[in-house]
Parts: sequence; C-alpha cells; structure tokens
Amino acid sequence: MTFDVKIKKWHAVASWTWNAGDDVCGICRMPFDGCPPDGKYPGDDSPVVWGVCTHAFHLQCINRWLQSQAEQKCPFCRRQWEFKQAAVGGEDSD
Amino acid sequence: MPIDLGRVQKEIRDIDRDKASGVTIEVQGNSVQKLIGCLKGPRDTPFDGGIFYVNIELDDQYPFVPPKMRFITKVWHPNISSANGAICLDILKDQWSPALTLKTALLSLQALLSSPQPDDPQDAVVARQYMGSLAEYEATARQWTQTYAHAQQVVGLEAKVQQIVEMGFGREQALAALKRANGDENGAMEILLGA
Ligand SMILES: [Zn+2]
Ligand SMILES: [Zn+2]
Repeated sequence: MTFDVKIKKWHAVASWTWNAGDDVCGICRMPFDGCPPDGKYPGDDSPVVWGVCTHAFHLQCINRWLQSQAEQKCPFCRRQWEFKQAAVGGEDSD
Repeated sequence: MPIDLGRVQKEIRDIDRDKASGVTIEVQGNSVQKLIGCLKGPRDTPFDGGIFYVNIELDDQYPFVPPKMRFITKVWHPNISSANGAICLDILKDQWSPALTLKTALLSLQALLSSPQPDDPQDAVVARQYMGSLAEYEATARQWTQTYAHAQQVVGLEAKVQQIVEMGFGREQALAALKRANGDENGAMEILLGA
C-alpha cells in the first residue's frame, strides 16, 4: 500500500511539470519556480497561467505582452489567447 | 522599466554554446543593448562564402518589442536596402513575438538570404532586377558578396585588431569598429576617433 501512495505523489508532480509544457516561461525564460523579472518572490507573487492552447507563462509576462498588443495572441502558437482555468494539484487534463 | 538583463544574457550564452547554428553574437562595448550578430551566407545562394554582420539594438521594452536589426555588411537583396542595410522582414516588425529570440531572428535573416520576398521589397531597384532578370540579380549579388562580405577580409581582421589595440584602444572597441567599417582600418580609426 505504501508503494501506491508513493506512485500517486510522484504522478502529481510529474503532471504539474508536464502541464507547464516546459519548465521555463516562454517570455522571460526564467524557470516557473523562480521569479519573472519584475516579481520579487517566487510562488504566489509570480503565478503561472495557461492558455486554452496549453502554452504557459508567468501571469505578469503574458499580461504585459497582451497589453502591448491590439490582437490577443499566444506568443508561441499565435492562436487567440484565452486563459484556461488553472487545474489544481495532479488533475490530468490530457 | 529597464531591459530584462537576465533573458538577454541567457540568449547570448545560448548562442555561444550552440556552435552548429552558424550564427554568432557579440556585445558591443559595455551595454548588452548594443550587439553585433554574424551569419554565414547560405550555401547554393549568391551569398555563399560571405560573412555578414548585423547591427542589433535592443530597446528597453525588449522582448516585448522586436530587436532593431540592420545589416552592417553591404548586401544586394530585394528585402535589404543596398544603401543602409535596413531589413524588411515581418518578424522584425508586426509579426514579432516574445517567444522568438535573437538566435531565431538571426536564423530568419539567413533564411531570408536564401528566399527573397520580392513582393514585399525594401530595395525597389534590387527587387525589379530580381523579377526582371534572375541571372543578372544573382551575378550582382555574388559580386557584392565577394566585394563586401568575403571571408578573406575577416581572416585578416585579427592583425588589424592588434594594430588598433597598440594605438591604445580596447580590443572589443577595435573589433566593433573594424566590423562596422567592413574591415577597413582607416574607416575603423575614423569611427573610434569620432566616437
Ligand atoms: Zn515569465
Ligand atoms: Zn499557444
């Protein structure tokens, strides 16, 4: 039984990493567990957000990009950007 | 807001590490906001054998705005001004995205050398020649490559850098000036003395 619990825990972590697509933000290139350039603290202050296209960025980074653009497009795939409801924990969205 | 130094330094390191990409980049002086990119002319094009230098300026807003790029080396190409090196390429204008990098931009310039887009020209004279007589265009472009971008000029560069350093200038300063002057020592001295 202990074995099962361990597997579940591992799965949750792996799933989070996989959902992020990459472990760095595609805009500032900093790791998601670190800070975007204008953030001071990792964690709550620099949340990671996903688009419905599955690409992920720091909230500050994607907001700054969208604010500078007339058309709201994902920097990676240029599809219309829409925030995806963040999945909490080990939820598998695949 | 000042420029995102972390990202730019990371980009420069990534280009330095990837020796196979065919593009290189160097900081001009003290600020990472002024750089010189370098790319090889693609094979099977009139630019083959040429080494092309590109002036790069990064705005404080980079990467939220595109890098400003201009060919230092003279190029005969429909999308590059034969007079001042200005470049017409969509990703350096309205198609820029912060997911692109200096490396992808330099690689795109290399791709542009291979596939001119005469419908969206920067240099109308070159574009007209390209559309009218491809053979003539290729001959001119090849001749410009030999005259202005030939690797021979770059091979002799190190000796010229040394000469200028002996006159009391910094190495990086000397190199940047020589590249701007297309390897011409007198031109480089003029740049250095005028700066
Ligand atoms: Zn970021
Ligand atoms: Zn996307």
